[in-house]
Amino acid sequence: MNLIGIVKPEQVQAFKNAYGVHKTVIKFEHIGLRYSVGPEVLSDINFTLEPGSFHFLTGPSGAGKTSLMSLMYLGRRPTRGILTMFGQRTNEMNREQLAAFRQRIGVVFQDFRLLPHLSAFDNVALPLRIIGRPEKEIQNNVSELMEWVGLGEHSRMLPPTMSGGQQQRIAIARAVVAKPKLLLADEPTGNLDDEIGFRLMNLFEQLNSMGTTIVIATHSQKIMDQLEHPRLVLGQGHLRVEEPKGWIRRTIEGVF
Amino acid sequence: MILKLPVVFKRKERRIGSAQGKRQYDLPLSTDEGTVFLALLIALMTFLAIMAISGSFALKGMTSRWADGLDKQATIEIPAQKADGSFRDDEAITKIQNHIKSALQGMPMIQTITILDEKDIGKMVSPWLGEDFSMDGLPLPGLVSLKLRSATEKDIAKIRETLTAIAPDIHLDTHERWLADLFRLSGALRLAALCITVIIGFTTVTAITGAIRSRMAIYKADIELLHLMGARDYYIMKQFQRHALILAFKGAVIGTSIGLILLLLIGWVAGDTGAVLLENQGLGGQQLLSILCLPFIACAIAALTARHTVLRVLSLMP
Repeated sequence: MNLIGIVKPEQVQAFKNAYGVHKTVIKFEHIGLRYSVGPEVLSDINFTLEPGSFHFLTGPSGAGKTSLMSLMYLGRRPTRGILTMFGQRTNEMNREQLAAFRQRIGVVFQDFRLLPHLSAFDNVALPLRIIGRPEKEIQNNVSELMEWVGLGEHSRMLPPTMSGGQQQRIAIARAVVAKPKLLLADEPTGNLDDEIGFRLMNLFEQLNSMGTTIVIATHSQKIMDQLEHPRLVLGQGHLRVEEPKGWIRRTIEGVF
Repeated sequence: MILKLPVVFKRKERRIGSAQGKRQYDLPLSTDEGTVFLALLIALMTFLAIMAISGSFALKGMTSRWADGLDKQATIEIPAQKADGSFRDDEAITKIQNHIKSALQGMPMIQTITILDEKDIGKMVSPWLGEDFSMDGLPLPGLVSLKLRSATEKDIAKIRETLTAIAPDIHLDTHERWLADLFRLSGALRLAALCITVIIGFTTVTAITGAIRSRMAIYKADIELLHLMGARDYYIMKQFQRHALILAFKGAVIGTSIGLILLLLIGWVAGDTGAVLLENQGLGGQQLLSILCLPFIACAIAALTARHTVLRVLSLMP
């Protein structure tokens, strides 16, 4: 049956938007960001993140990594350019749509941003409660994840009584508990020892293999070298994409 | 089913982020120091509203009782002193009183006619002059009390006409002016009570708005975090609304209880002292019901104010 002429292009787009069919996760087109009347901290940023991709975001301190992350987790709107998330332009989104899109994004903040009056368990459970999951499911999923990050026995502790590393693990568990489509992590292994750090990177790899798009902002050359993923390199407000060295080597080996 | 209710309730509590024991609000609202202040403020406002409203009810009751006592009644006064300055003696006054009685007796608007003698007049003036005061030699007017079946303007005019025919200086007092003054005063006082109640309502709204706004400013970073995790404005608003509702309920119950206790005390004191003006000042069932509605009205005002304020502030956030 030929549907051309029966189904209008905008209806097809509406269907794709509704069901999230093979959409680019993030698309930055000539994005610029400035705070108030100051100079642009991000200038003419262009890149695309496809579903299931894994990128590192790196660059010197003050290069604008956190600002770029905040644009990606819809914490602020760009001052110019077009930002498209999951196939929809963010400047066309209303508050309800923004909330729905944010539910698909998990964020690990550099300063963790845990709620100090809630227990570790409740902090991790928060994204599930926000999206209204049944309590039984929350209890099971959160308990399992708490065990996995090695804090099963500390679930009733309040964040201020926990070490930096423990808080970071809680922040990571909170970011991944709702199985987000996009995971953004700002220096997620900064306060962790190598063993826990690599376990968490493995968790990110597992999530990535299940289809989650991942962006990790990091300074750690060690981690970037170990996991060969493309790098978004920020410098002086501009961004370039670098493929990992190992990838180039393997590509050359494959050709010859 | 009954056994299941607590479970359902707890589940619902969790859904709106407030199950105590399991976890607290997403925002630390219940541990906030301003909580007690807000509850006390609502208690005070509810108490004042109860006082104003019950005062209005009491005034209304008192006015209608006084009006009922004077309604469809009239007094005929035969002045002791004539227009030419000479005095009527008791015999002449009695003669005129009897004449009036016989003239008015058959009229359809007249229910009863009572001639007041010197003893009756003595009783009337005794609160001012004392029981033992002798009225011998005093030029007292002659009084005739009328109870009317109907008191239309036409009826009153007919009675006046009959009285003028007997003696032109006979005066008919229907208490209209006095009643009009009483109603005017009562109306003004009740309007003042209404204004006070409205001001109390506005003050409560302003106080709740201020409290909610200050809490939202304090927890701005946490609210932003909830937004970033995908919380809708409605999800955040529900927590503030529920918090305000619980506080308002606590405050309103305290305020209403104190108010009712005070009203009982006032009633008891008024009854015990035998105050004539405050006689039978107990609240009617409908009035008591209106007062008992006040905590719920306070809760509704608090919840709606919180809802409106939170949604408004959130709409200005990114």
